[in-house]
Amino acid sequence: MSTPVLAGQPAQPAPGTPRRVTAGPATRLRSVSGVISVVAAALIWIALLGPVITLFVHLSPSAIASALRAPGALSPLAVSLESGAVTLAVLIVLGTPLAWLMARDRLPLPRLWEAGVLAALLLPPLVVGLLLVFMVGPVTPIGEALAHVHLSATNTFLALVIAEVYESAPYYVLGAQAAFGGVDPRLEEQAGLLGDRPARVARRVTLPLAAPGLAMALAVAWARAMGAFGAVVIIAYHPYGLPLQIWTSLQETGLPSALPFALVLLVVALPLPVAAYLWSARARGRRRD
Amino acid sequence: MLEADVEIDRREFTVAVTLTVAPGERLALFGPSGSGKTTTLETIAGLVAPGRGRVALAGRVLTQSWAPRHHVPPWRRGVGLLRQDPGLFPHLTVAQNLRYGAGPRPDAQRLAGIADRLGIGGLLDDWPHAVSGGQAHRVALGRLLLARCDALLLDEPYTGLDAGLRRDLTELVRSVVAERKVPAILVAHELAQAQAFADRLAVLDQGHILQCGPPDEVVRRPASRRVAELVGYQGFVPAPAGTGLAGTGLAGTGLADTVAGVHPERVAVGADPGRGLVLTGRITAARPAGAGWEAEFGAPGGTMIRFFLPDRPETGSEMAITLLDPPLFGADGAALPHQVRA
Repeated sequence: MSTPVLAGQPAQPAPGTPRRVTAGPATRLRSVSGVISVVAAALIWIALLGPVITLFVHLSPSAIASALRAPGALSPLAVSLESGAVTLAVLIVLGTPLAWLMARDRLPLPRLWEAGVLAALLLPPLVVGLLLVFMVGPVTPIGEALAHVHLSATNTFLALVIAEVYESAPYYVLGAQAAFGGVDPRLEEQAGLLGDRPARVARRVTLPLAAPGLAMALAVAWARAMGAFGAVVIIAYHPYGLPLQIWTSLQETGLPSALPFALVLLVVALPLPVAAYLWSARARGRRRD
Repeated sequence: MLEADVEIDRREFTVAVTLTVAPGERLALFGPSGSGKTTTLETIAGLVAPGRGRVALAGRVLTQSWAPRHHVPPWRRGVGLLRQDPGLFPHLTVAQNLRYGAGPRPDAQRLAGIADRLGIGGLLDDWPHAVSGGQAHRVALGRLLLARCDALLLDEPYTGLDAGLRRDLTELVRSVVAERKVPAILVAHELAQAQAFADRLAVLDQGHILQCGPPDEVVRRPASRRVAELVGYQGFVPAPAGTGLAGTGLAGTGLADTVAGVHPERVAVGADPGRGLVLTGRITAARPAGAGWEAEFGAPGGTMIRFFLPDRPETGSEMAITLLDPPLFGADGAALPHQVRA
């Protein structure tokens, strides 16, 4: 039988869970600084979410239907999904080892490697696009080498993937570096002493422990690749992905025809990040100590 | 048999250690922080490559810096290392942690047997974050026992646990070492921990083993003043010939500059020239220590001696104390030959 609880008295916390003296929401609103911080938080939250709300307010189902039924309307979606998938594959294969080496300080001149990744993050995408033309365009050594194997890195699917890799790679590499950095090297060492060679340690310890962070990094990179525009518009105007489709719709027929594509872009870009976030939050919660 | 003869260069000094541990033997590597104890263990485990040296375990050469050169990687050594952090894999349950190094098809009966032996049979489905510190250490030990473990290295694993738990775990490791007949090395910077575990004590300082022997002998007969300081001698008093060492067989050695080591736990109240060196002086201070009192005793010549008494001594009172069978050191700091009392 449970002990009777007096009216107005909070129930005792379960044994073993000491009640901490922290300011709850009610306490926070009792001071001026508390009110200011809550208002500021609410303002930025509304401002950040505002565009998404606006999109749904201004869209009618019929407008979406007619826009998507127009001939060729769905091909930008296919292009975006395909280029995004290839981009992710490239990032996983090439970016993961770099992130691991950076996290474990296994590279000579570590600051230099980090600077390289940061450069791709800090350069304006338009500038990256321009520089890419000078790097892999048709009259460059790389462009000529590609031409030998009947490839071109301008206005092709390959160009689109290159541009997307440039725009998304820093997000993946830095995110993955943080994920690997969160894995205690002593655990990897212990796994080795228990008889696992390094590749098995990576499979059984490092990757499972870094997985939530890696998933988040991959999801952010996917969202960036889906939305890549600056570098893409210069080096890969064709084939159209969704961002280019939005841009040309806006240029040619105006705002209402661009909006449905904006919604499609959100629908393909967001589920992976949201799923990754939910999964990694659950995984972190389970092994929190 | 575990044999190590290694030299590892560090910034301040070179760690140069030679040691041999027989199967089932427990060696404690005792020394102050930064003396090279952990480096020595990590070299044996293969985590650190020595500048020069050789490590062999059960006749198998694990490391050899000269031709034919060998460096067996850590994962093929079969050397178990326990650290202060039990290092359980947080994404695996206790049972999965235990099975980690046991190969693809671990023997379920053996696992259950070891889990019961270690008192963690009821935790198999728990997550590491849900078990207590002592239980986590038991799981870590079990994980080693289920993996291939031809030698056991302990890097102060139970520091920070409360005394009772530490005693239980030390006892458990002792019995496991005896059952498995593996050589074991414990690194410790607290003498009591080293004594509780080992049947041989090696005192390491600045990368060199100063003395190695049975723990009792090392503490009672330190080979040098430095060893004496490390094992708890708090000071040294002049012990000229004829000052009351008659019974020790050292009376009349006639050496000037001879000093006797003062250990706070080897002081008796009263003059007993037959048992050691008698000093007279005054109690200058007393403070509670454990269940008794710690007294400060000013010996002639200004040396301060601290020792323990069951009852509160009267401050300022003159009294005689006897340093029981103290170790004696010459001017060069080396121990003088000491004859056992007749």
